[in-house]
Amino acid sequence: MTQILTLEKRTALTGIGFVTPTVLIIALILIYPIIQSIVLSFGQSSIDGFEPYRFVGLDHYSKLMGDSRFWNALGVTFTFTALSIPLELMFGIGLALLMNETFKFKGWARLAVLFPWALPTALNTLIWRWMYNSDYGLFNAVALQSGLVERPINFLGDDVLAMVAMVVVAVWKTSSFMALIILAGLQSIPRDLFEAGRIDGMNRWTEFTQITLPLLKGPILVALIIRSMDALRTFELPFNLTDGGPAAATESLSLYAYKVIFDFLDFNFGAAIVVVQFLVIFTMSLVYVFALRNKD
Amino acid sequence: MNNSKLYAVGLAAVMAFGAPITALAQDLVMSIGSRGYGGMVERNIESFQAANPGATVEWNKVSDVPGDSRKLYVTGLMARSSTPDVFAIDVIWAGEFAQRGWLEPLNGLIADDQIAAYNPSFLSAATVDEKVYAAPLYLDGTHLFYRTDLLEKYGLEVPKTWEDVIMASKTVMEGENNPQLYGFVSMWAKIEGLFMNWLSFTGGNGASFFDADGNVAVNSPEAIAATQTMVDILYKHKIAPDSILTMRPNDARTLFQQGRSVFLMVQDFVHAPLSAADSPVAGKFDFTRNPYFAGNKDAHSTALGGWLLAVNANSENKEAAAKLVAHFTSFENQLSAALDENRAPGRTDVYKAPEMETASLIRDFGANFAVGVVRPSAKTGSLYPRVSEAMQIEITNALNQKKTVEKALNDAAAAVKQILGQ
Amino acid sequence: MKSSPRFGLYFLVLLTVVISFFPIIWLILTSFKNTAGIYAWPIQYWPDPFTFENYISIFNNSPELLRYILNSFIVGVGCTAITLMCGGIAAYALSRLRLRFAGVMMVGILAVSMFPPVSLLPSLFQNFLNFGLLNTYTGLILAHAGLFLPFSVWMLASYFATLPVEIEEAAKMDGMGFVRIFLTIILPLSWPGFVATGLIVFIFSWNEFPLALVLMTQNAMRTAPVGISLYPGEYAFPWETISTATVLAIIPVLIITAIFQKQIVGGLTAGAGK
Repeated sequence: MTQILTLEKRTALTGIGFVTPTVLIIALILIYPIIQSIVLSFGQSSIDGFEPYRFVGLDHYSKLMGDSRFWNALGVTFTFTALSIPLELMFGIGLALLMNETFKFKGWARLAVLFPWALPTALNTLIWRWMYNSDYGLFNAVALQSGLVERPINFLGDDVLAMVAMVVVAVWKTSSFMALIILAGLQSIPRDLFEAGRIDGMNRWTEFTQITLPLLKGPILVALIIRSMDALRTFELPFNLTDGGPAAATESLSLYAYKVIFDFLDFNFGAAIVVVQFLVIFTMSLVYVFALRNKD
Repeated sequence: MNNSKLYAVGLAAVMAFGAPITALAQDLVMSIGSRGYGGMVERNIESFQAANPGATVEWNKVSDVPGDSRKLYVTGLMARSSTPDVFAIDVIWAGEFAQRGWLEPLNGLIADDQIAAYNPSFLSAATVDEKVYAAPLYLDGTHLFYRTDLLEKYGLEVPKTWEDVIMASKTVMEGENNPQLYGFVSMWAKIEGLFMNWLSFTGGNGASFFDADGNVAVNSPEAIAATQTMVDILYKHKIAPDSILTMRPNDARTLFQQGRSVFLMVQDFVHAPLSAADSPVAGKFDFTRNPYFAGNKDAHSTALGGWLLAVNANSENKEAAAKLVAHFTSFENQLSAALDENRAPGRTDVYKAPEMETASLIRDFGANFAVGVVRPSAKTGSLYPRVSEAMQIEITNALNQKKTVEKALNDAAAAVKQILGQ
Repeated sequence: MKSSPRFGLYFLVLLTVVISFFPIIWLILTSFKNTAGIYAWPIQYWPDPFTFENYISIFNNSPELLRYILNSFIVGVGCTAITLMCGGIAAYALSRLRLRFAGVMMVGILAVSMFPPVSLLPSLFQNFLNFGLLNTYTGLILAHAGLFLPFSVWMLASYFATLPVEIEEAAKMDGMGFVRIFLTIILPLSWPGFVATGLIVFIFSWNEFPLALVLMTQNAMRTAPVGISLYPGEYAFPWETISTATVLAIIPVLIITAIFQKQIVGGLTAGAGK
């Protein structure tokens, strides 16, 4: 029977067949829920069918625009992203350069770089929360005993410090991830370019800025995209570190949405928040994808 | 054709015979945690089954962390599940669950005189539109714990007002001159407990959440003054550690237990660990009613919490379930829970029982419950989580000095009014 | 000339290792302190007494911990299996069959991978509730598969793209079916790619939080990160329990990472390169 179908047709059919399971799952888990969230956000209903669905148009969205907690969450999310990404990039590049060298104990170094990435964010955040504790934490113990400060620092109780604390944890965890991506780029730079630079009398700094950095543009962009998407949707970091505190100073958009949906049980308003978050991230991802396509 | 007629008759016969059989065999599922009172649950289930042959009760042990069990219940209730038939709810969920139609009204299913015996302020938290939706199982409340040895050393009397507390704290702190010793510690993290704490302070000044006409009154002058005292305790009088703003009840208890605080205001469960053999403050502490502000001797300042038993509105065995609830909250069983597990009863008549003479601890706790203040969960119903959240945020803003007390409470009032649609 | 930059290099390496490891070291030390030691002031750097009591008592106090770890395993393995199977054939089709819609689909898959998980929550929760998928392994495995298929398709596609074009030609000439080609030719040649992808997806699934938090509400069904994160309650942060449980919960991931570090790093760098 298969002989009747041309190779091209067979290829096409196989292609569709092979792709279908993936498409189905993605449609079910990723695409359909987004559409449903949009529908939910335009109506008023209750989860158990107690109240049937009622179309309310843009009501939730106008309420959202006037919701100071929403704007706060948006601000927190952007601030967190803007602070952590540059730092992660910097440390990532540094680590990648380090890993590119050859030295003994490279296995240990590689493991050291990999561990923070491999740990579940949620649990790793709990560890940091303990270290930041103002009465019994490691950081305060060291600060007090070394005479740096007189009263314990309330890391997680001060809104500025709490954001800083959160950024530190994020940078600690993901610099390694950035490093790995950039390392790939580093390893693909042909060695003879460095040779030529050496012959021209370049020192390490010029070598870095004139040869390495420009050629790393691609991987850096990829790393930036992935990390900023992640940072914009950060959830378990504030959830476990500060629960959005003190008083919503570290409440990211994801965390606020979660609270509205699961603590207040307001699925419709929560859907509006979630749709806005999705639009923000989707827009940025489109921008990035375009940038990537033009790169090649 | 004949076959189906026969079949129908047969079916009717089976149902006719089956009905009384099923009436005897009631299978109830009860969801309740176990830490600290498991014995009470076991005893009561056994005695219920003995008194009602054919009825079986399956004990579904749920988490003791309120947030956890709430999520579990909510998922099941949203799916209109018929089990659990009976479940234990935190006092602040009663209004919300009732409003969402998840609880079965108990008037008529439980005798009126039994309902009349329940603690009134507590019962009010579970009463919506004159219908009672849950029965109080046990109460807890916040009390002021103090170091007897330190007060004695400086010749101080047990404080009655906040002014007394502040003065006593300062005297002891100056006298001891120990940078690790604080005057006052409590649970001021942005948690439900903070809201309870705030209600203690404001209640102690004669303020209430709603005024007599039912309007939101969180920014009344009395409330503002009381909240200002909380801020002053931290920044003006400096008798509390900075970390009080991140403390949960157990953190505050730990500090007090290490001997690092003169006063502690938290729930009664801390009494056991504080009096344990390895506790540095065992034998050196006692407790009294929460302070009030001068001139408000009868103020209600004991923040109440606790658990009630409710019947699932979708249960298939509502009468049997209500009987189980009545059984758990009967005079005898509440008395034995008080004596054996130190569970403060949800009924006022139990406190007067002669056996309670020996249970002085519960009796003393109970005396404080008489001047209790509950959170406004019944009136706000399903909007309570949002109201509590709004209050917690603004109180935290005031305590962090991000806003003046007046602005914070005005904003809180505006937010709560908006939530309630007032 | 060489020695002083070398010294600087080794110093930086040491610094990196210390910074990366110290939280985990602190965690392990904490788990060996008793309650008094954990809350001691001044702080105990080294546990005194050094005790195993937390590890012994954790199985009495929190018997569900083993269950959490088991759940994480089941979900992780299930998710990895499905992701590799579905993702594998999809990646093969999109990278080697020269389909007309391949480019668009790859971009589309990339785009959907950026959806924030929290955006999916309201409707996923509602749907799973209505279809009885809440608190089931199937449900969470499916959800995780949805989350990680895009990554796995992209990674496997990049591996397949490195295989020479000719290897299939002969088989196609012979009229071999694509399924057979995939199983007998492609798979054996690219299994390192499968291993790397599988390891990374397993780690992703183990660490995943928002969906696992919401789709498993029964304590017995929770995954390890979620279960442990919920130990703290309104009343307390039980640090003794949390630190011990965390150590136990991260051991599997750390072991996998340590053993397979080369593959994982290779996978991440190669995949990212694309």
